[in-house]
Order: sequence, then C-alpha cells, then structure tokens
Amino acid sequence: MKTAVANEHEQGWDFEKAAMPYVDSLYNTAYRMTRNSEDAEDLVQETYLKAYKYYDKFEEGTNFKAWLFKIMKNTFINNYRKKKLTPHKIDFSEIEESYERVIQKNAPDLIKDPETDIFQDMMDEDVKRALDSLPHDYKMVVLLADIEGFSYKEIAEILDCPVGTVMSRLYRGRKMLERTLLEYARKYGYIRGGAEPAKMRSRKDETKGRKKKESADDEPETTEPEDNEEEALFAGAPEEEEFDEFEVEEEEEERFEIE
Amino acid sequence: MLCRDVKRVVYFFLDGSLGKHKQTDFDSHLRLCPDCESRTKLHRRLREFFRTRVERLSAPDRLKTRLTRSIRAFRAEWSR
Repeated sequence: MKTAVANEHEQGWDFEKAAMPYVDSLYNTAYRMTRNSEDAEDLVQETYLKAYKYYDKFEEGTNFKAWLFKIMKNTFINNYRKKKLTPHKIDFSEIEESYERVIQKNAPDLIKDPETDIFQDMMDEDVKRALDSLPHDYKMVVLLADIEGFSYKEIAEILDCPVGTVMSRLYRGRKMLERTLLEYARKYGYIRGGAEPAKMRSRKDETKGRKKKESADDEPETTEPEDNEEEALFAGAPEEEEFDEFEVEEEEEERFEIE
Repeated sequence: MLCRDVKRVVYFFLDGSLGKHKQTDFDSHLRLCPDCESRTKLHRRLREFFRTRVERLSAPDRLKTRLTRSIRAFRAEWSR
C-alpha cells in the first residue's frame, strides 16, 4: 500500500504538481454537476483530498486525469444520494421524434445547405442553458467527451458503466443538445426563415426580452422531471434495463468496430 | 449502409470511432446520398459550434489556495 504521502517521501513525487494542472477541468465539470460555485469548490476539494489519501488505489500507467474524474463522480453521487434529489426521467422516443420535427419544421434550409451561417449570433448564455438543460447522466458524457476529450473507454471507466452505455448516452445527449440549440436558434431569431420566421432583434432587446421570459415554458421539454425511475442509475442497477428501446449497448460496440 | 444506419452512427463517425469497414461504408453512402451528406455536415457544424462557444470555467484562485492548504495540512498530519 502506497499513499501519496509515502510516495512523495520515497520518490520526491509531488502530488500537487501532478494534480493541479487538472483543477480547471475538474472545476468546470463540478460546476456543471452542482450548478453552483460553492458546491463545485467543495466537490473539487473533496476530490483532491480523496485522491491524495487513496493514491495507493491509482494504477500506475493509467490516466491520472480520468482517475481524478472518477473520484469526483463517485463523490458527487454519494453527496447526491444523501441529499436525495430527484433525478429526471426522459422519454427517448419523444426525443427522436421531436428532433426530426425540429429539423424538418424549423430548419429545412439547414438540410439543403448546412453551411448556412445560423448560429453566429447565438449568445453564449444560450449554449450554457442548452448544456444545463440536459439530464445529469447525458450532460456528463457530453462534457467528458466533447469538452474534456476523454475516449469512450475512459468515460466508461470514470462512470463505471459499459462502453455501450457511454455510446448510447452520448448519442442521446448530443441529440438532445442539438435539438435544444436548434430550438433556441429559431426561438430567438438566429435561424431566418422556417415555419415561423423569427423577427431579427438587436442583442440588447434580446437580453431584455429573455429576462422577462424566464419561465417554465422557456425550458426544453427534455428537462421536465417526471418521476424518479432513473434513480436506479445511482443505485447501481443493471444498465440494460435503462435503454430497452435503444440497441447501442455491448453488442453494438462490436458491430461498430470501435477502437 | 442505409440512411437509417447513417443516422445511428453519425456521431461515432464524427468521433472517428467507426471501424475501417464501417467508415468506408459511411463515406460511400455520403457520396451517393446528398441528404445524409447534409445532415452529417449539420451535425459537424453543431458540434464545432458547441465546442467553440461553450463556456469553460477556470477554478477560482481561492479554490487553488484552499486545495494547496488542505493537502499540506493533510500531509503534515499524516507525517506526524
């Protein structure tokens, strides 16, 4: 058993030097998970102390950053369970259908000409809201893959789930994210044309109008909490049960000849 | 590969995670199907847009100080 302290003592290894380069990445993800800076800071601190304390569990030669993320995820889940927050339930067939509706109805010109400059004027706040609107598990895989650049295998390791589950969550998470971005693009007039041509407004008016509109109907449908069926995710239930309508699981992994 | 299959694997194609054969099938399909080609471009654009525009937060300095202090405190306690 080799703690970080013992390791530092014997080899002059510096935990701070090794772990500190990841603090921004961890904090960024922690903030997305907890949605406030105070909890995010506490979560990162707890993660670092645990990593320091249990360094003997780290397998040399594996990805240190991924290991830190895994500790953070576990810590978050423990705290999350304690607080007994209600996770979200999602209707996936609804996501698929409404994605097609959004594309066909609001952005037919995008299909004809995907180079059309549609998102140029979209505000950073919209992008942030679109990401935050994703249910936790889907937001996590999108963050880990598309922001932190982890491979499917590394994400599977961090989240303690099969690679197939990572893929199915990525598929759905990205689809929900795209749908929300397209919806915002139309709603706030960034997409010209479509079924209901949106009025072009100045950014100032936009911000003003938006503040007034902060209401429940402003949120994308996918985030509506329905019941706590998905709580099973956090209780270590078999993953197969969650995605019975979607086949990107273990078998698909092979079919896709991943990595 | 059918249009339906293209839709299912498009993100994995964009990740560069399809196996060689699937990748080739995908490419051949896109050459013959303008609709799938456009959709793929749209997915790519949305992804690039998201990646460049999503806010990346930096840890506040006070957190870095907190971390350094708590690790040092833990180390001191452990070494005692």
